[in-house]
Formats: sequence, C-alpha cells, structure tokens
Amino acid sequence: MNKIVSYIRSLFLFELFKGLSLTGRYMLTRPFTLEYPEEKAPVSPRFRGLHALRRYPNGEERCIACKLCEAVCPALAITIEAEPRDDGSRRTTRYDIDLFKCIYCGFCEESCPVDSIVETRIYEYHFEERGEQIMTKDKLLAIGDQYEEQLAADRAAQATVR
Amino acid sequence: MTDETITIEVDGCSLEAKAGQMLIEVTDAAGISVPRFCYHKHLSIAANCRMCLVEVEKAPKPLPACATPVADGMKVFTRSPLARAAQKGTMEFLLINHPLDCPICDQGGECELQDVAVGYGGDVSRYTEAKRVVRDEDIGPLIATDMTRCIHCTRCVRFGGEIAGLRELGATGRGEHMRIGVFVEQALNSELSGNVIDLCPVGALTSKPFRFAARSWELIQQDGIAPHDGVGSNVRLHVRRNEVMRVVPKENDAVNQTWISDRDRFSYQGLQTDDRLEVPMLRENGRLREADWDEALQAAARILLDTPEGNLGTLVSPSATLEELFLAGKLTRALGSDSIDHRLRQQDFRGDVADPAMPWLGRRFADIENNEATLIVGSWLRKDQPLLNLRVRQSVLNGGVAMAINPADLDFNYDLDVDVVCKPSEMVQELAGVAAALGASTEGIAVTPDEAHKTAARLLQQAGKGMVLLGSAALMHPDYALLRRLAANIARAAGIEWGSTGFGANDTGAWLAGAVPHRRADGSAGQGKDAKSMLDGPSETLLLLGCEPDADFADPQRTAGALGSAKVIALSSYRSDALLAAADVVLPVATFAETSGTLVNLQGDVQSFVAAITPPGEARPAWKVLRVLGNLVDADGFEHNSSTEVRDELLQLRGQIQPDNTLGESAECPQGFLPAGLQRIGGIPMYGLDAITRRAAALQATPDAWDGTLRLNAATAAGHSIEPGGRVRLVQDGLSVELPVSVDERVPDDCVWLPAAVQESAGLGCSFASVSVEKA
Amino acid sequence: MSLRIEPMQRVQKAENKDELLTPEIRADIDAWIAKYPEEWKQSACMAALSIVQDANGGSLTTALMDQVADYLDMPPIAVYEVATFYSMYEHKPVGRHKICLCTNVSCMINGSDDIYEHLRTRLGIGFGEVTTDGRFSLKEVECLGACGGAPMMQIGHNYYENLTLTLVDQILDGLE
Repeated sequence: MNKIVSYIRSLFLFELFKGLSLTGRYMLTRPFTLEYPEEKAPVSPRFRGLHALRRYPNGEERCIACKLCEAVCPALAITIEAEPRDDGSRRTTRYDIDLFKCIYCGFCEESCPVDSIVETRIYEYHFEERGEQIMTKDKLLAIGDQYEEQLAADRAAQATVR
Repeated sequence: MTDETITIEVDGCSLEAKAGQMLIEVTDAAGISVPRFCYHKHLSIAANCRMCLVEVEKAPKPLPACATPVADGMKVFTRSPLARAAQKGTMEFLLINHPLDCPICDQGGECELQDVAVGYGGDVSRYTEAKRVVRDEDIGPLIATDMTRCIHCTRCVRFGGEIAGLRELGATGRGEHMRIGVFVEQALNSELSGNVIDLCPVGALTSKPFRFAARSWELIQQDGIAPHDGVGSNVRLHVRRNEVMRVVPKENDAVNQTWISDRDRFSYQGLQTDDRLEVPMLRENGRLREADWDEALQAAARILLDTPEGNLGTLVSPSATLEELFLAGKLTRALGSDSIDHRLRQQDFRGDVADPAMPWLGRRFADIENNEATLIVGSWLRKDQPLLNLRVRQSVLNGGVAMAINPADLDFNYDLDVDVVCKPSEMVQELAGVAAALGASTEGIAVTPDEAHKTAARLLQQAGKGMVLLGSAALMHPDYALLRRLAANIARAAGIEWGSTGFGANDTGAWLAGAVPHRRADGSAGQGKDAKSMLDGPSETLLLLGCEPDADFADPQRTAGALGSAKVIALSSYRSDALLAAADVVLPVATFAETSGTLVNLQGDVQSFVAAITPPGEARPAWKVLRVLGNLVDADGFEHNSSTEVRDELLQLRGQIQPDNTLGESAECPQGFLPAGLQRIGGIPMYGLDAITRRAAALQATPDAWDGTLRLNAATAAGHSIEPGGRVRLVQDGLSVELPVSVDERVPDDCVWLPAAVQESAGLGCSFASVSVEKA
Repeated sequence: MSLRIEPMQRVQKAENKDELLTPEIRADIDAWIAKYPEEWKQSACMAALSIVQDANGGSLTTALMDQVADYLDMPPIAVYEVATFYSMYEHKPVGRHKICLCTNVSCMINGSDDIYEHLRTRLGIGFGEVTTDGRFSLKEVECLGACGGAPMMQIGHNYYENLTLTLVDQILDGLE
C-alpha cells in the first residue's frame, strides 16, 4: 500500500516543490551571512580575544605582580619577573604572553585580583616575524590604553554575573 | 621533666607521652595537626596566639595545646565542636587586623596564616570597622618589614632573646597599639637575624634581597650544604630558571638545628655577579684572550708537563669540595710534587711535623652545649662561626663558663668569666700564663700567671667537659705553632679537648683529601712545600683552585710577587683583577651551587650534595676540569665519571675516618713575633671570608661589613697625633696604604685594626705585623 | 612574652654606671633594687622609670630609658617595652600639672564629658596637649578606681572626686 502511495507522489514531483518552497522562503528573507571584513558579527562582552593590561584612571598600572595568572595559565604562556619599584611598590619588570602558547581560556583574567590582565574583543591580528607573538608588557599596556573605554564598559556590564 | 611515660588519649587514639611534655609536642610527634602560630619547638612557650586551643575533658574551657602539660589519662579532642569553635573564633580575631594584601605579599603561597585560614577561617569577614595600620621601620639591608601584617606571635622577639642572644626586636605599646619593632630605628646587628624571616608565620618580616622576586610555587627546592664555614649547615637552595633565588635552612639537629647564619642565607647573591668567569682564558704575547676549552686545557697541560719535577705548587681554597681537593692533590702528586696546601691564610708552619692525622674541632657540635668551660683564643666567635657560637652560648646558659683571649675587646652574646684583651704579640704570653697556672709546659715562655690566668686555669681544671678553641686570629697568628702547642698543653693538663675553627667549609676534608704537603690522601707522609714556602719560591708553576690572590692569602703582596714570577694556572669562578693580572691560563669553574661535591665539616660529617643549577657560560665543575687535566698529562687514575666516584675512591683509600687532634713531637718553637711599636691586628671580617661572600651585595651593606677605615683607640690616636676622621698612611715592611681613621675603643693600646681580605689591605703583607702610621 | 623564670640576659653590661643619671636618682633606684633578689634587679624597672620621669619634669626620653636599661643591665628594648606598655609613662613633654581625667563609664554617666568641655574651653587644649605656658597638660585616662567619687580626675599624686565645673575651677586656680 505504502509503495503505491509513494509511487503516485513521485509522479507529481511533490518533494521537489516542497524543497523549492523552502528555497523560495529564504530567498525573500534577510541573509544571515556577513560580508566580512566589510561587515562584522556582533561580539559578546565576554569575548576572549587579544590580551591587554589595564591601568587605573589615574594612569597607574593595575598589575601588582602577584603572578596568579602565571600560576593558573594551563598553557604556561605567561612569564613574569618582578622587583620593587623605586617607590617600593611591587611591580613587574617583565610581563610576556606567548600567543602561540595561549589557548584563550580566560583563566588569567579570572584569576586577576585587580582586573589588570584582560582579554579584549580584538580577534584580528597577525604576526609577520618570528618573535612578534610575544606580547610584552609595553604592548599589552598600549592595547589596554587604546581600548580602556570599551574594556571598562564590558567589565561594568558583566559586574553582576562575574 | 621526668622520664615517666604516661598515656593520653587524643581524638580517640591513645598516645604515649613523657610527663611534663606539652600537649602539642605529643600531637606533633603523632602527626596530629593542631594549628599554631606562636609555638616553635626551639623557642620558649608564649601561648599568646591562642590558635592551638583544644578541648580537654573535664576542663571548663578550651586549653592551648602548646602550654598544657600532659597528664595521665587525659582525654583531648582537637576537632570536637568546642575545639573547632575556639579555633575558628581565634582565626576570626586574627584576621580582623590582618590586611587582605596576599597578592602583593612575599609570604603569599607559603604563609602559615593563609594555610590555617583556609582550614579555620570564615569565607566572609563580619568586621566592617577600620583596620590597624603600623608604620614600618628600616631594620637593615637583610630584612624587609611590613608590620601591618604582624599577628604578634612574638616568635622573632623570643628568637632574639633566647637564640641569637641579642634582644633587638621588642613588642612596644599595648593592646591594639602593640607593635613589634626596634623602637629606635637601627639595623639589626645579629649575625643570625635572617632566621626571623623563617620564623615569621606571616609576611611581616621577609627577605629584602628576595623582595618581590619570585613566588614560592615557582621555586624548585634543592638540598645543599652551606659553603662558608666549617659547620656545614644544611640548607635548601630555591631555584628558578637556573638561578638561585634564595637559601633557607634545612633542619638537622646534629649540625645547624633549624638555623643558619646570615652569611649562609644571603651569600647566594654572590653567585650572579657581573664578574663571573664564563669562558676559559689564555695568555698569548703577554695578553689574556678568550679561548675555547680544548685550547686552554692543552695549554694548561703543556705548562704542567713542562714544569720540572717538584717545581709545581698547588694552592687550593679551604672551601673547595672534597673531590676537588682530592683530584688537585692527585694531579700534583702525579706530576712529582707534594706541594699542595689549603692553609692559605696561615703563616706559621713550624708545627707541621707535629700535625695530627686529621685535625678537627675536637668536640661534636651538640657536645659543645654540655661544655662546662670553653676557652676561646683569637676568635670573635659570634661573627666568625655564628652557629658554633650558638652552641657555646647554650653551654653558658646550661651553667658552663666561657673565657676568651682576644686581640680586641669583642662583644660576645654571653658573659665571659675571663676576658683577656691583649696585643696580638702578647696572646702567646697570656696563653702561656694559663698553661703555667695549670702546671703545664709553657714551651719555654717565661711567665708568671696573674689573677686572670689563675681563674681561667681553675675553671678549666674544674670542668669535666670543655675545650680550648683556637679561632681564625690564632690560626693567622705569626706564632700559631706556639699557640697551638700551648692550647694542647692546657687541654691535656685540664683533661679537656682542644680544636680550631678553621678558615673554610672543608678544612677537615682537606686533611682527609691530602690537600696538605705532608699528608697524602692515603695517609702516608709527603715532602712538599707548604703554602708559605711555595710563595717564597722558587715555584715554577702555581696551580690555583678557587682562591683570589689579593684576599685569600696570608700575605697578599708576597702572593702577588710569587704569582708574577711563576706560570699560573687558575681555576676560578670569578674574574678578579689580581688573578687576571697573574694567570697564564684561566679556567672557569662552578661554585658550590653549580657542582656536585662533598664537604666535611669540623665535626667530621661527610656531607654530599648535588648541583642545583648549571654553571654560567662555559664554566664547568672544577672536579671535571681537574680530571681532564689529569688525562691530558697522562696521569693514572683519572677515569672518574661522577663526583661520587671520586669521593668513594677517596673514602675507600682512607678507610675509617677518625678525626684526631693528638699533636706529635716537634722541636721547640720560640716566639718569633716580638714587634716594637705599633702592631696591626688582622683577622678576617665576617663578610670577607671568601669570593662569594665578598660579592654578596646585601651582606656588604650590613654594619658587619668592614667600613674601610683603620681602627685604633683614642689613646693610641692621641699618642701618634692622629686625628680621628682624618687620613693616615699605614706603613708595613716598606709597603704602605693610605686610608681614613676611625676611633674604636675595642682596640688595645698601641695597636691598629685593619683586617685581611678587604680591598684596603690588599697592598700590604701579613695581617699581624709591626706597622707604623704617618699623617697622610 | 612568656612567663619569665630567669632574668633577661644582658650581655654587654655598662661599666661606667657612676656616670649614669644623677647620684640622687641612683640612690632612689638602688633603694628599689634592694627590695629584689640580686639577679632580679630588672624588677626595679618600673620604679626606676617613675623616678627618672619625675626628675625629668614628667616625661621620658629615649636617652633616659637607655640609661635606665644600662643601670639595670637590661636590653634597652625591654625598657622601651615597659615604658610604652604602661600609660603613666609619658614620651612627650607634659605641663607642670598633668590633669588625668577619667572618662570611663561611671565618670561618663556622672558628667565627665561636661568637665572635659569645660577644661577644653578654659585651658584651650584637648587631650594629649600642653598649654602654651607649659602649666597644664590634659590626658584622658581609663578607670582609676574611684568610681564612688565619679566624676574624678588626678593631678600629680592627688585624686579630686565628685567634680563639678566650679570645683574644677577652684582646683585649677589653686595650682600655680
């Protein structure tokens, strides 16, 4: 019985029209795809992209060289050296993140007691020379300075759930 | 405390204890953990932190385990609801005033408060009022203070009074305003001050050179032996990325208990200096140039092979390892010479024929605590041998007496029953006086015992256990042979021991390894030249191991002269100017942290260690260098593959190690040092001892480092119309140096104090000598 | 510190004790030392500090405490500990008359706050301060054990109890 029904249906190309109707429906709706790089997808405030070191509003670097990020990093991507600064405060003299090792897990950000090391929304970067993948303290601070507004807003947006 | 054994019950387990023991000692021994801050097994019981509260059956309130003596049938609960509540309550109060700054605190990760807070603390603080803040004092270059973190356990205060014997830290103020500090700001003067860093359960007292440098979890711990004095303190080297970050003590009750001296703790700074020698160097056309190992070793071997038999002299540091000393001796003897010596700072070798087989301290460290009388001759024991001094101090606290004969009025941290301060040349008469009062031979010195001599003699005679201890100033004395015979005579007459403190970490080991001209490693007699004769010449070739010509020798000028006229092969870890000026081949070698080896301490313990880090640059462990040199000169028996093979060969050769101080017969040694006019007092400043210590920046910044002045007392200064604070020219045997003067009333009349091993005295001769001063 | 069963050890004992302090003060301290066993002369520390403080116009200096330490063969820090623990030792200069006003419960209920206000207006100084002429200094103290006569104050070695504002004025007028 079933075989006969199926045979008759095939004669009327029922499946074909069913498929075409779907195509036709989507032909009229707005497309999902983006014209990257002209167009960009929205990014969550929790996005874990390129790292940055933040400063306080008075310009003082936040990092206090507690080395918790170095300890928590599962990929051993962070290397820190520290010593007392002239004013006696505890500061890093070296803060390197090896982006080839980094797995962007965000543990460093989570472990930081002063919200210093953060992951930004930046995901577009590349390296042309060997060694460029090492993000030094200066580079990280520069990124932090450039995107501070965004970073502060993202942290504020997440403050209740973090 | 009686030896009666009783039984108590802790958390349901029955435990054996001695009557009078404190509860915490019993639970510690049984491995039951009771939290504590103020209790420390080597300090008195304060019971002021209240963290160790436990419940005891029939006691109305929780009791502190550290201050509750055990009683038979006692039932203790360390984890009952009552005990837990008491411990949690204490923890909450301790945390009220403790800052939450663990991320910037150096103690973070190894903090007793952190650890205990994890177990007993609440997760949220109920305290909302303002926290206490305490001003920090600067207590010197070794210890950093963050007194806001202090929880007032008073371990550091008790350590100062009870162990270091110098109460410098105290608890001033009361209640909320109590704070630990020195009150009048000053650098700590104790040579053991670094131990408060270990004692402090929180981050209030931390190491200044280590400040903010590393975290405890980054460090790899490696056992080692402290290489600066004959105690051979057991230490742990904490290493990160092939760098020694700090040194902490390792417990060994027979050697250093739980303490180490500041010298052992902070000398690691000298390991990473700019003047480490990293590549071999070779003299070519009168100039040193860098070379590769092959070239340098070939050149060294050629020099050795070209040296006529018996014309090679080997001078080794008394702190070199047993393996290095043994191989150096073996190499020297393979080349037909017996001239090897580690006694670089000694200048009187007349007693060599009478030398005992293997001189040592004479008593084991722990036995010194039971000394009923100790006579210290020529040593500022407190600074020279801090941990030996600890034992002598303990003997005094146990009811013994201590006496000293010294060329300066030095302070000891215990009372001296007889304190003789004399000119260096009179040390002989003073010691002979004691000998005469005891009825022992005075070695031909005519002396009538005075009151002090008689008292000393009486106290030594009465003592069942005791010792005469010859310190570095006696060993460096121009009449050392005589002083030693007198000390032995006194010891024999009083029925006690005698011994000497030595200069380095391996003096006893050097005798074992045959690093002396008249004793070979197998125990047979040798016919070599001693350190002084080697430098008097003619030595065609000199092989130096781990010593610096301007600081490690009795007579820097004689050394400079001898090195200038000989071919010199130097195995060194540092590029010192004096060495580079004289050496023909310089081979970079490892320091104590970078080589495996063995040190034999003054009580004869053979302590081996392995390398904690790799040597910098192309430097290699010295035993390997000596082994290859042995191969290159075609000597037999240089086939070792590891330092343990070298050690085992030596120990097998020697059989049973039996330290022995029995002096043999020798001809009379008449007193040779009878200067007219001013005398120079030498000695070695505490932090001038060896190349590593001399390069440790923090130690050189302490008050114990020499200040570069010539010291003399006011009367002597006036007698020679010298103005304090002015500059003078010090003339010694035609050589002179110009340096500032400071007044120091510890110096006897007609004496000036300028130690060896400091830059200022490198241009002069022996450190005990006749001198004159002129206005500069 | 723990219960002390042995005297605190002082290693470097001062040799020239005759040059310390003045002969009168030394005689006073010696009288106190004589009350204790010979090796326990440090027990006289509190008395010695009081004597020295009185002779110095009511306050101590570090130099004076050092001399007491030397005289009693104590480590100086041990003397500082005692001198900072007890509130009757002063470390800053005080006036000729040190007014110690009790502000604990009994006195407070009976009006010590008013008396403080009155003293403050009259003398122009608060607690811990000295008048410019050096005549008075004011100090807040804990209970002096005279609650029966609250409110009270102590001036010199005398207690003044059941104070009223007029009584305070009379007392102060009576002091030169």
